[in-house]
Amino acid sequence: MPSPNKLLIIDDDAHLRESLAEVLELEGFECHQAGTAQSGIDAAIKLSPDAVIMDIQLPDSSGFQICSTLRKRSKETILIMMTGRFLSSEEKKQGFELGADEYITKPFDLTELTVRLRQLLSRNR
Amino acid sequence: MASPKRRGRLSVRLLFWFLNLSLLPLGVVAFFLIGIAHESISKEILSTQQALAAGFADTVHKYVSTFKNVLMETAGIEEFSSMTAEKQQKFLNRIMQVHLAILELSVVSPTGTEMLRVGRFLRPDPEMRKFEKDEWFLAALKRGLFMGNLERFQGLYPTMTIAVPITDPKAPSAPVGVLMGKVSLNGLTQMLGMEFPSSGRSSAAVVAPDGFVIAHCNPKEVFRPEAKLNGELVNIITTQTDEKGGGPLMLTDGTRLFGAFAYIPDKNLDWAVFIQQPMDYAERTSTAMLKRTVYIVLFVVLCVSVVALFVSGYITQPVRALRDAADRIGKGQFEEVRDLLPLDVNHEVGELAEGFDAMSESLKEKTDELVQAKQKLEEFTHFLERRVDARTRELKAAQDELVKRERLAAIGQMASVVGHEIRNPLAVIQNSTYFIKTKLGGEVDPKIAKHIKIIESEIQQANGIISEILTYSRTRELQPETTSLNAFLEDLVGAYPFPPHITLQKKFDGADASVSIDHTEMRQAIRNIMGNSIEVMPTSGTLGMRTYLEGEWVVIEVSDTGPGMPPEILDKIFGAFFTTKARGTGLGLAVVKKVMDRHKGDVRVESALGKGTVFRLYVPVAKPA
Repeated sequence: MPSPNKLLIIDDDAHLRESLAEVLELEGFECHQAGTAQSGIDAAIKLSPDAVIMDIQLPDSSGFQICSTLRKRSKETILIMMTGRFLSSEEKKQGFELGADEYITKPFDLTELTVRLRQLLSRNR
Repeated sequence: MASPKRRGRLSVRLLFWFLNLSLLPLGVVAFFLIGIAHESISKEILSTQQALAAGFADTVHKYVSTFKNVLMETAGIEEFSSMTAEKQQKFLNRIMQVHLAILELSVVSPTGTEMLRVGRFLRPDPEMRKFEKDEWFLAALKRGLFMGNLERFQGLYPTMTIAVPITDPKAPSAPVGVLMGKVSLNGLTQMLGMEFPSSGRSSAAVVAPDGFVIAHCNPKEVFRPEAKLNGELVNIITTQTDEKGGGPLMLTDGTRLFGAFAYIPDKNLDWAVFIQQPMDYAERTSTAMLKRTVYIVLFVVLCVSVVALFVSGYITQPVRALRDAADRIGKGQFEEVRDLLPLDVNHEVGELAEGFDAMSESLKEKTDELVQAKQKLEEFTHFLERRVDARTRELKAAQDELVKRERLAAIGQMASVVGHEIRNPLAVIQNSTYFIKTKLGGEVDPKIAKHIKIIESEIQQANGIISEILTYSRTRELQPETTSLNAFLEDLVGAYPFPPHITLQKKFDGADASVSIDHTEMRQAIRNIMGNSIEVMPTSGTLGMRTYLEGEWVVIEVSDTGPGMPPEILDKIFGAFFTTKARGTGLGLAVVKKVMDRHKGDVRVESALGKGTVFRLYVPVAKPA
């Protein structure tokens, strides 16, 4: 049995963070959490997760900022952006250029998310 | 138009002067002519009367002389003085048979005793008279002749006595007696009657100085016992020194007449012939002349008036034409002025007309210029007004657009925040539900499973509402792409999850217009309409979709066979937050309207209750690049 994939969830909403983490743990992922951009970046450096799921809107910085920082450190890590609002094509394009792999809109279909995560992770293998 | 002073017409004034100038001399001449005529008629009458009087005086003289000669010849013949009485009587009877006017003849002896008496009305053996003291007897003896002794035979018929001496030719100086005859003068009256008939104007008389009427043209004036001529006239005649004469007379009783007299040219007679005629004849004549003159004057007035009217009309015609032309110019009608002007008149009026024509032309030009300037000014004013109107509309539209945008931006901002903040809890609920569902696994109370489904469904519903609001309020740039409309619609319809009870009828225009559209937004708009249509046909129905060209537009028509909408709500359905559903944001059709506006297109709706509703999206056809 291979070691479970390491996920990092960065969101300032603790309930969302926890519920998502627990659902994904049910699906067999190893989940870590961070409430701010800075703590998220710190955790990512320390843990080197396989994938990072981050909210675009954070109190201290934006998800795009984290995305940019993490992509510069690792080309392997899967970066998934979460948003509660519409993103324009420009914004999406900008995000992809900064290194984002996928966008998901709240509330998310968890089955779909799980499948997509596994796809992205298996590609990296 | 109240004219303070109406000027007289020129033609009337000309007429007035014509009449004055032509009739005044005529009247004066006529007056003098009548005077002259009156005078000459009077003279003519007088001279005629005088001639007649003189002529009749001669006649009287000859008449009397005839009898005088008869007596003188009888008394002078040789045998008479020596005749016996019987023979003398026979002789005298013969004379009386020849001369009817001789009424009686007597032979008187030188001593004055009547020797023989022959008469027409004498008894046989008449009484012999004595005449030795009678005037005529003495005069005949002394002077050889007597004529006179006027008397009225039987008191009526005028007679005269003529006496001549009877002489013996052998001793002529010693008369042997006197022959005396009484002669009737009725013959003179008869002659006068024939000469001056009673129907004539004149009357004539032969009078003695004492007024005894010897003869008269009217026998009634003679044959009466006391026939006398008017004493006044007799007085006038007897005081004349001339042998003959005449003139106008005015009697004390007011009678005016022409009178003429002539004495008998015989020294033995002092009778006069008098002819008179009332003066009124001459007056009547001159009055008739006056009348005729007045008629002539009236006729001339009439003729002159007519002629003057024509002449003055002819003279003033050009002036009137000028006046008409001036009237026209006054009214601003320049077109026919030239035709009116009397340009062909060859006097001063013609020159005036030429001047007038020049003035008219100049006025016309100036007026045209003014009119053109006015038109230009009006056009310019209209142009400015239109510009101002257009600009005002643009500003108003811009302001409306600005207000709308600001409002949308505010809504968008709020919706963004609200959406984000609600989506987080929704995501948490979703996660937790998923967690519970996964934990429970397959062996779960069906009721719990049902409620989990309800929660998941409600999350979807809530998320849909948020999506709608965010879609409506987001401000994104339009990203148009030139597209085949038919292909775009085929894709859209193909991907749409039609429920099984809906029948789709599609008919796309063969021309397959190209359109420049933002796919995301146009898709959203059409899906919104299709969603509504399907929603109003819950059990069964037909959704129609067709396209067709209409001018520069291509129309996407989406129809349903639902219950239709009442007319009063058709105006409102495109407004934001208007809904007839139990759950709905009222933004679906507002999004459609917004999308069509952003594409410079339009959306229209037509609905019939019980039959269905038709939406038509008007998209501009893309112009080939």
